[in-house]
Amino acid sequence: MSDAGATADLLLLEDNPQDLELALRALRRAGINNSIRVVRDGVEALAWILAEPAPMPKLILLDLKVPKVSGLDVLRRVKEDPRTRGIPVVVLTSSREQVDVSECYRLGANSYVVKPVEFDRFAAVVRQIGQYWLQVNQPQKVVE
Amino acid sequence: MSPDKRPEEQLKESLKELGDLKAALDEHAIVAMTDPAGRINYVNDKFCAISKYSREELIGQDHRIINSSHHSKEFIRGLWTTIARGQVWHGEIKNRAKDGTFYWVDTTIVPFLNEQGKPRQYIAIRADITAKKRGEEEILRLNAELEARVRQRTAELEAINRELEAFSYSVSHDLRAPLRAVNGFAQAVQEDFGELLPEEGRRQLRVICESAVRMGALIDDLLRFSRLSRQALRTQPVDMGKLVRAALADLAMQQEGRNLELRLASLPKGQGDSALLKQVWINLLSNALKYTRGRDPAVVEVGSADFDGQRAFFVRDNGTGFDMRHAGKLFGVFQRLHRIEDYEGTGVGLAMVQRIVQRHGGRVWAAAEPDRGATFFFTLGGTGA
Repeated sequence: MSDAGATADLLLLEDNPQDLELALRALRRAGINNSIRVVRDGVEALAWILAEPAPMPKLILLDLKVPKVSGLDVLRRVKEDPRTRGIPVVVLTSSREQVDVSECYRLGANSYVVKPVEFDRFAAVVRQIGQYWLQVNQPQKVVE
Repeated sequence: MSPDKRPEEQLKESLKELGDLKAALDEHAIVAMTDPAGRINYVNDKFCAISKYSREELIGQDHRIINSSHHSKEFIRGLWTTIARGQVWHGEIKNRAKDGTFYWVDTTIVPFLNEQGKPRQYIAIRADITAKKRGEEEILRLNAELEARVRQRTAELEAINRELEAFSYSVSHDLRAPLRAVNGFAQAVQEDFGELLPEEGRRQLRVICESAVRMGALIDDLLRFSRLSRQALRTQPVDMGKLVRAALADLAMQQEGRNLELRLASLPKGQGDSALLKQVWINLLSNALKYTRGRDPAVVEVGSADFDGQRAFFVRDNGTGFDMRHAGKLFGVFQRLHRIEDYEGTGVGLAMVQRIVQRHGGRVWAAAEPDRGATFFFTLGGTGA
């Protein structure tokens, strides 16, 4: 990506265009006007997040089943790197599978949320996540 | 022997008795005698017959002539040390006949000692057990074959299980995404363009939204149901009363604002997987609460009773009940006895109950009458209460 160095408050990893549109719609509807960086696969996500200098978003919203590099691998790499370890990662996925939930927490996910089918509930979930992590939560300062 | 007989006669009689005894022994057993070094100096007919050597070929030969090399050095050494010490040796030996075939003999070797306490000669008495040994070998071979087959089947089953696991994972992940789109975009149309639509158009959009949500619930329940058969049972003693209270706590929402009379008898302990058994109680109690919705008061009773010497747990309600003619459908997946407008649900709850109870080796059944309530019973089978 040409603008790999650009910063944003929220990194949104989502490959499904409909889910992406709905998530952005829900964020907009919740009045969350923070800058958002959208990436569509794991490679793109890692290229942006691990760039120099690290863009240090306030939140990474992660889908698990994405092309190339999986969401789990993105999570692992982010939490392994001392620079990015402190960035909150919320897994937002279709999977209710216990193996996924446990694995995400083992790798250091800060939260695990299952996408509801019903849009009103999906919107409510996205609003709560956005408001809490982007507005209530105190992120760490960028350490150089 | 009578004392008044003459010594010659006595001797003759003794010899005759000995002869009789030998004749009887020869009829039954394979007999050989060797000197202390193991050189054969006597064999009976049966020995010749089974070893396929003539008497002339055997006499004066080392006993190792029929050695099969089947037994270990330690085994043979053990035999020789035992008899050289003057003790009787007993065991099963595989020997080789002249034509190279093998035979098994159940063998007793008795050492006879001289005045110095050293073996003077050995007498070996044997019985042919080749057929028995073949049978044993056949059983071992069949067992090994059976084990191999079981291993193969297990591997096949495990592969199928993994496939199913991957299948449900894919269902869980990939089937829900389009549903979210159906619901979300129908909702978006309603929000963005709702005012342009007539009331009927808005109603139709609501149907789309609700149907997507319902299909989501069906997928969830179906996945939970299919997982039930695959997850391992963690069996332990279970406090059923505690499980009932925990299940009722989970169902607090369904009890709110209701005139509800709960009658909880003390329950015997059960034996089973507590997480799965809690699911049984949740499903049965949730049904009882659901189908007593119109009742004032709603009465839900939990207890246990003896059926044919087996302890059965039950949940009884004074709710809407059902016609026993339809009882056969009760535990089928996605089977419902009531209209969706009257009572919500996917029709998986009782199927789950049955699957869990069956996995515990128990059974589940119901008794009901339309409008006069229903009772659901279950046992936990041999391992349970």
